[in-house]
Amino acid sequence: MIPDDAVERLMDSAQAIGNACEKAGVAEWEIFASQGYGHSLDIEAGKISMASGGGDGGFGIRIVDEGRYGFAHLVDPSSASNAISQALSIARKSPAIEGFELPGNLSATNVGGMKDKAILDMSPEDLLEQGDQVLTRVAELDSRAVAVGGGVGVGAGAGAIVTSSGIEDGGVYTSHGIGIHVSIEENDHLTSSYEGESSRTLLNDLTASVDKAVHWSQITREKIPGGDTEDCPVLMTSGGFSPLFSVVVPSAIKGERLARGESFWSGKMNQQVIADHLSIVDDGLMEGGMSSGSRDDEGVPSRTQSIIESGRLIGELWSTRDAAKLVSEGKVESAQTTGSASRGGHTSPPICGCSDLILSSSSKTHSREKLIEEMEQGYVVHSVMGAHTANPTSGDFSVTTSTILRVEGGEIVGALSQAGFSGNMAKALSGRVVLGDSSKRKGSYSTGSMHVPDVLMMDGLRINPA
Amino acid sequence: MVVATRQSESIHSNGRLLDEDKINRALDNASRLGAEYAEIRLVSQTTNSASLKDGKLERAIPGQEIGITMRILADGAWGVHSTSDIASISEQVEPTLRLAKAVAARRSPSQHSVGLAEVPIIEDVTHWKSLKDVRDTDLDTRIEMMLAIDDEAKDHENIVSTSTGWSDEHIHTELMTTEGMNRVWSFQRSLINGMVTARDGNDVVSYRMRHGGEGGLEVIESCDLGLMGRNARISALRLLKAERAPSGKMPLVADRDLTGVYIHEALGHPCEADLVAAGDSCLEGRLGQMIGSEICTVVDDPTMRGGYGCYPVDDEGVNTRPKNLIVNGVLTEYLNHRETAHRYDLDPNGGARAQDGLHHPLVRMSNTVIQGGTHKDLDELIEDIEFGVYACGSRGGQVDTGRGSFQFAAQEAWIIENGSLSRPVKDVSVSGMTLEILKNVDGLTRDAYLGSPGFCGKGQTVPVGDGGPLMRIREALVG
Repeated sequence: MIPDDAVERLMDSAQAIGNACEKAGVAEWEIFASQGYGHSLDIEAGKISMASGGGDGGFGIRIVDEGRYGFAHLVDPSSASNAISQALSIARKSPAIEGFELPGNLSATNVGGMKDKAILDMSPEDLLEQGDQVLTRVAELDSRAVAVGGGVGVGAGAGAIVTSSGIEDGGVYTSHGIGIHVSIEENDHLTSSYEGESSRTLLNDLTASVDKAVHWSQITREKIPGGDTEDCPVLMTSGGFSPLFSVVVPSAIKGERLARGESFWSGKMNQQVIADHLSIVDDGLMEGGMSSGSRDDEGVPSRTQSIIESGRLIGELWSTRDAAKLVSEGKVESAQTTGSASRGGHTSPPICGCSDLILSSSSKTHSREKLIEEMEQGYVVHSVMGAHTANPTSGDFSVTTSTILRVEGGEIVGALSQAGFSGNMAKALSGRVVLGDSSKRKGSYSTGSMHVPDVLMMDGLRINPA
Repeated sequence: MVVATRQSESIHSNGRLLDEDKINRALDNASRLGAEYAEIRLVSQTTNSASLKDGKLERAIPGQEIGITMRILADGAWGVHSTSDIASISEQVEPTLRLAKAVAARRSPSQHSVGLAEVPIIEDVTHWKSLKDVRDTDLDTRIEMMLAIDDEAKDHENIVSTSTGWSDEHIHTELMTTEGMNRVWSFQRSLINGMVTARDGNDVVSYRMRHGGEGGLEVIESCDLGLMGRNARISALRLLKAERAPSGKMPLVADRDLTGVYIHEALGHPCEADLVAAGDSCLEGRLGQMIGSEICTVVDDPTMRGGYGCYPVDDEGVNTRPKNLIVNGVLTEYLNHRETAHRYDLDPNGGARAQDGLHHPLVRMSNTVIQGGTHKDLDELIEDIEFGVYACGSRGGQVDTGRGSFQFAAQEAWIIENGSLSRPVKDVSVSGMTLEILKNVDGLTRDAYLGSPGFCGKGQTVPVGDGGPLMRIREALVG
């Protein structure tokens, strides 16, 4: 899928662009190069509808001159001189940040599990066979079920970073993912569920996602009438909790937002902010982590950064530039990069972001069944619609769910057709919370990868049945 | 491989980025090998984005990206190849054809094979020229415009931060097909946006604003940026004092932005014929049926110049035209592309859009607008509401097209009590079922036009325009 010398070729081109920077008299420069390849197939209406392949990539040039920075991106290295001129021109108009320099070359820990030869060796035909397996599994589980959408894909990418401060690093990563949207329509009554999973290594069991999608499409068919609006406990499965968590929490733990008063946790460093048995860690060194690696996207060695320990806010995330900028503006006394720079690709300069974010509990965790028993009365929510409309500044959310089960006397008694679901994430996590022991979801979002179990929140949430 | 990218080989004296002779040979080869249809589409995007944080330049990103996608239809199935390496595309004909045939081989006799509706075969060049070409706009001008918002937005002690952003792009597309289509088109888009964050003790809120459309610098110049910043500040400060919204079923009045998002999510997506064909639309089989109130007429119109969702030619080379999705409550048209037009024996209506040169076209919306009604203004819409909500500004929405359920969220809102706006509330979201709530629309003001520009995600992200008049829904689920 990817040439053996892909990284070397990227490094050579990046170095050539760096040399052009030197020739142009650029004091500090950073060349970030990426190239991705992949195969994928689309599933629609119970069949494979399309197979595709290809790749793209390019280079991002960041230059720094006396604390002023400029950026440009390009695809064709032969146009580097124009891009360098553009970046220089922008730097001249940028504010000087005292103390801002590109990161130096520090040794980094190798992180394993980033690539899998089995993925690199996969052919488009192999992928089509996986698509066949997925469709066969749907039919086996429930003759009424149809895979109305989704797909399977594999990807391999090469990345490299070369800087004037001596960083020269690169590597290959792979990914394998499935998304499957199953619906069951019978007697004019349609239920559906979407499930997905991704991994740096070959997913051994693609049918696990299919099983979950069919299961949720089945168990939400037992409809009961919606009751009154109720403030009550809600058990969010990891699949339902993960997207909401990804919108609200990664934004709140950025050092810049905390320092500017833009986070609901601003001014609360070293204070209790969530339940005292909960901890949040951003692990940039997670083996096989979808957002991990030996270095961040500006070449700083990755680390495991504790953010909340036993409910107390003790850490935050910084990139090199944000740290220097907020110190120079007097918003914080001191700040240093936490190896938390990330990019959307070669077209973006590095910005601060989380990598593999983990929510855990020091208290005893429970199976989903036990959590339902413990809840006594309330709801189980498996997916939400509109997670992206949650407010990351305040933590407030007001979303809709159609995969919601009513719990009475510690048992599921039926499903609602639809309900509004609202609350405040920070407040809900600071109330009575119990975590599940279920396998943690690896949800990958633009804000990083979330590792969260089922979460039972007893306080501050409202269900508004349709 | 990007390090072997050979784009510069393909820039020609006639301004074309595709080498027409070479592409024609590749397309001929595809036909010779058994393709029923093949197309090669190149998109070159010249982009500029910039942002300020608290009035200081945070970043400016100039970019030039090129992508090329080849689609081959063989034995009634698609194979696709996308790359940023233009020169390599000819080498991918055989592998892509094999992919298409492998997909076709898996189709059971009961499953539909892909066919394409016939369309006029056109060879032409269309350039929608902006009054002020985005490529001539310098960074100083962009900064000056963003500062016009920032200066007004930050002017209060409770405003803790401001962010402003800029994005413009020149999009150049070339499409060649085995049918002889050979079209070139280009156009531009410009956008400016901002966000204000306000804080009072532990209460923190934010308010976002956005203005943009098809065109160059004139799009931004047409906006009173100071007023935009001032309104954002006032709204953020008002949200600080707002209480949590009530929950339950109640009358809802939506402003233009929310009306647009509502009609985009609740109706537009289920009207996309690729979702209908996938068995994932609640509007399947409902063409010709009354699905909404008779005061509802909804148009999706990519030719509405200035709208953020405009485009001169769709990404299959089909001429664009307005599409009447609902006329007086009756579902009259799906949005389609050539594949779905063939499937349902409909006239192709130019609804194929791809995110860029590295993606294949899907059925997408453009500028989706509900037409005006008979009410004079907001006062007339709310005068007989005892208790309800007036919701303004969009924080986005989502739809489950198969089930027909949707959700959208407002930036700010007011309680309506006894025919008047009383107090502000926050965190209003609205949900419902497409086939129920469209029938509950019982009031529209006369003036309909596009609201703030938006972005629509469906695996790929495309710019869209949405809007309409102020709209009253008899009963909606709020909160």
